[in-house]
Amino acid sequence: MPIAPKPNSALLIVGHGSTENPDSSTPYFDHADEIRRRNLFAEVHCCFWKEEPSMREAHYLIDSDEIYVVPDFISEGYFTQDVIPRELGLTGPTTTLRGKTWHYCLPVGVHPSMTGLILRRAKEVAPKVDPAQTTLIITGHGTGLNQNSTKAIKDQATLIANSGAGYAAVLDAYMEEQPFIADWATLAQTPNVVVVPFFISDGLHSYQDIPVLLGIEPEVGPAASQREVFRHNPHRLQGKTLYYSSAIGTERLLADVILDQIHDFDLRQTSPASLPA
Amino acid sequence: MTQAQLLRQAVRSGIHRIGQIEIQEDICEFHYLLCHVDDFDLSGQPAFGGLDHHHGPDAARDIGTYSEDGEYRFTKGMTNLRRGWVLTLDSEKDLRTALDLFYPAAVGLWKSWKDNTLEVENLRDKLNRQTGMYRFARSISDEGAQQLVQKVCGPAHQCAKRILWKLDPNTPLSDSEASRYNGIPSNLSETEAIPLLCREACNHFVAECRKAAKAEFDAKNAG
Repeated sequence: MPIAPKPNSALLIVGHGSTENPDSSTPYFDHADEIRRRNLFAEVHCCFWKEEPSMREAHYLIDSDEIYVVPDFISEGYFTQDVIPRELGLTGPTTTLRGKTWHYCLPVGVHPSMTGLILRRAKEVAPKVDPAQTTLIITGHGTGLNQNSTKAIKDQATLIANSGAGYAAVLDAYMEEQPFIADWATLAQTPNVVVVPFFISDGLHSYQDIPVLLGIEPEVGPAASQREVFRHNPHRLQGKTLYYSSAIGTERLLADVILDQIHDFDLRQTSPASLPA
Repeated sequence: MTQAQLLRQAVRSGIHRIGQIEIQEDICEFHYLLCHVDDFDLSGQPAFGGLDHHHGPDAARDIGTYSEDGEYRFTKGMTNLRRGWVLTLDSEKDLRTALDLFYPAAVGLWKSWKDNTLEVENLRDKLNRQTGMYRFARSISDEGAQQLVQKVCGPAHQCAKRILWKLDPNTPLSDSEASRYNGIPSNLSETEAIPLLCREACNHFVAECRKAAKAEFDAKNAG
């Protein structure tokens, strides 16, 4: 959904970041570059939990009096509901702080347009497979600490299963809670399996941990950007043909989902009944 | 005044350095040119003396991600920015974006510091809001934290930032090279350089606090 230019507003993209792995924040900067190129906002910035600039330094970045904050996170949970509001000083959907107006949008991962991105990513990684002979697994971290963290993935699995895309099955699986992604070969009943990591970046989890859990790699390898040769699909493992894509957040079109969340935020303010909360 | 306008004004009035970066104005057909301070002479030669030429602010992140020897520069105040490049920019807005990628929020922090509106966060406040595995960092002793500043911070340990925080409102940092450092390399004056300011301890320092707190705990229990 195209949004009208906001020449007097700033966009602040919030990410997790890492002090260990530079690939962790690459998608956030890519999304910021992409949106900056479109000249929709007076300024576009990123801030992080584990990298510079920190969330508490974010307001020093911004000249504009109106700021749209979009968490570039895949689910609602601890970070989007506790950490980001606390660090930025936000108290609701719109907060006035130090004379500026801050709008807090929903995280990218819960937007309905993510469904199209997952399907596109699955098609890219396995263009010739017959969906009727294929299981699509959307995989995430999972944690017993917050039920919301898996909700976005379960929702996407249901949406895709009902989308007419034709996959024999669409499943959700996790690193740290059941169903475990390590059990992919028994979870899937089809000869072909496509696994799409529902993460923003090709960081430690999607590029280093999950490949080990899938059996593609014997041990955790170096960061994605330090590899000379990227993984080659398909992988013949456990009697099945496995296709593993890069993280969904590395998709360039995720920049559009950020804009979609801003569009929906504005719509929700002017017409509260038109969108789900 | 926007930060881009502030930068334009600052460069015109003689500011030419931030961290390890030299800022030049009106070079060839380019509005601004950035290079590593040690490549300044080369950048003035024909074809930039063979330095890799990048154009536009986006390249700044790639240039600043790894040091010469391939180390990830997780804190951008580290004094191991690689050499061998020039970055040309079309406007002060692009200059501002590029500098934010090299030294995140440095221009904005400097602007607020000059305006006396910079809110400094002392170490105890920072440690007390750590969660998960970093929660343990809050148990570090004052003495341990003071030692850590001298062991981790300052140019001797590859950080070019001026520390503004204290341990808590009543406990300033002990005098040391790290606590005295003004955030401006090469003894330039404040009329020539934008200082790099440290308004809160970085995540690296917090991680080191956690390690030191754990060592203190183990030593106490062993005794």
